[in-house]
Amino acid sequence: MNEYLYDQVIQWIPEGSRVLDLGTGDGSFLARLVKAKKVQGVGVEKEPELVAQCIEKGLVVHQGDIMDGLDQYGVQSFDCVLLLGTFQEIGTPLELLREAYRVGKTVIIAYTNFAYFHIRLQIMFSGRSPITRALPHAWYTSPNIHYFSVEDFDDFCERYKLRVLRNAYFNAAGPVSIFPNLLAEQAVSLLESTPISE
Amino acid sequence: MQSEDLQDSGRRDYLSPLGRLDPTVVRLPGITTQSGYTFPYIELSYLTIGKLSPAKDNAILICHALSGNAQVAGMMESGKPGWWDFHVGPGKTIDTNHFFVICSNVIGGCNGSTGPGSIDPQTGQPYGMSFPPVTIRDMAAAQVKLLDHLGVDKLFAVTGGSMGGMQALVWATEYTERVRCCIPIASCMAHSAMQIAFNEVGRQAITSDPNWRGGAYYGKARPEHGLAVARMVGHVTYLSEFSMHQKFGRKLQKAASNEDMFPQYSVESYLQHQGESFVRRFDPNAYLYITKALDNFDLLEGRAPEELLRDLKARFLVISFESDWLYPPSQSREMVRALNRSNAVVTYTNLETPYGHDSFLIQNPDFTRVLQNFLNTEYDSVSRQALV
Repeated sequence: MNEYLYDQVIQWIPEGSRVLDLGTGDGSFLARLVKAKKVQGVGVEKEPELVAQCIEKGLVVHQGDIMDGLDQYGVQSFDCVLLLGTFQEIGTPLELLREAYRVGKTVIIAYTNFAYFHIRLQIMFSGRSPITRALPHAWYTSPNIHYFSVEDFDDFCERYKLRVLRNAYFNAAGPVSIFPNLLAEQAVSLLESTPISE
Repeated sequence: MQSEDLQDSGRRDYLSPLGRLDPTVVRLPGITTQSGYTFPYIELSYLTIGKLSPAKDNAILICHALSGNAQVAGMMESGKPGWWDFHVGPGKTIDTNHFFVICSNVIGGCNGSTGPGSIDPQTGQPYGMSFPPVTIRDMAAAQVKLLDHLGVDKLFAVTGGSMGGMQALVWATEYTERVRCCIPIASCMAHSAMQIAFNEVGRQAITSDPNWRGGAYYGKARPEHGLAVARMVGHVTYLSEFSMHQKFGRKLQKAASNEDMFPQYSVESYLQHQGESFVRRFDPNAYLYITKALDNFDLLEGRAPEELLRDLKARFLVISFESDWLYPPSQSREMVRALNRSNAVVTYTNLETPYGHDSFLIQNPDFTRVLQNFLNTEYDSVSRQALV
């Protein structure tokens, strides 16, 4: 994810809160967050090697699948649940969101905007699945199984009456304030956990 | 990588950097067991390695498993290294240059601590089967007396594999103020039917040995055959299909001969050797008592996890091994789930080591990396807090 985006997420998280980072990877971002905001952070990661790297950084980490593991946390036991780049990699994002809402008071979702103009141009002119900084994998190695845009995500939020508190959009140059669906490479939203309508 | 544990490998070329270390036996105030028996005093065999820091904040209690003893590291009188010498010593996983390591033989055991082979002060005879049932909680209660004797109020960490992990869990839940980190390895909150079943096979082998005589065999022929069979069964459960295949495959120890109609496989002679060497160092009655303690252990004892595990002070590192089918990862996950449901601070990792339950006893870089980093980063944060 984009550096500006990470900075934005750090800004949004209140000092000293309890944070669950789903798909925490090597824990670099969580470690930064712990340092910057004195949060009580917990990471969830399924790769043993990455879990070992988190432990090296002194993080509290749970080795396991995001979807299997969430039921072990109590209702609203975290102030914030982070889904940074994870939403697009999970088979059932709606179910993941329900679980994230159950355990967290707020949820932050960061994703890659599939309607970014570079991607549009690549598809149009090469006729192949795009490979960009934010989507660096070939289609057959990519962990991403859902490709959606800023507009798609907004539709999704509207469809399920999700309460979005903040949105922010970024590309390599920094924050994007106009035409995010065209100009933003990555997007992040802060949601408040409210009952999800059917 | 050394894929065999030290105690049973039979290797003679291994030397501990700690040199010869001998456990001490100390007489301590008595305890009342969970079953209600009061010992007027108890004796515990223990070993300490390293130095207690001036702040007394670097003590690590290591709890041994079923067949272990106080000799966690260093060379024993017998010329064999301690059971966890791979992981305990200067510069090792648990670095004795920084940490003060304490390990004691459990109550109910047979390596220097009060157990069924000890003399009952009331009769002047060995206890035998009149020894009271002991539990994992009794083992921890006895360790508390030892720590009081050593002047160690707080443990930086308590750890152990298998039965040692159960003791660590009791420490973290019953003596909440005295434990900073709890590290149960390849352990569980309660034995499953399968674990009880394997132990029962072992117990039956011992009690059906004619030499057992209701446990009153002291001074006479011991039920060695029964204990050897018990150990053989146990040993199979500590390995994995992979480790047995790698170690023995279908290799023959000796081809079929005229005297011997069947060939002998390497795995057979290995197990026989394990059984024979075990009977030399273990008391059959202690095997009965300790396996019962294992089977009867239930951390929650019918209580809701949220009730028992609320307000735990310890920070947890739970480690399981993918190939461990005796204490499978699912049991560690259940433990982690109960702890997380109670808002405890828990790190969990399931290592890919292919050597079964014994994975925690062997040389294992993944295990070393995780445990060492956890201990070091936690100790750094303890020291930092102390400075604030």
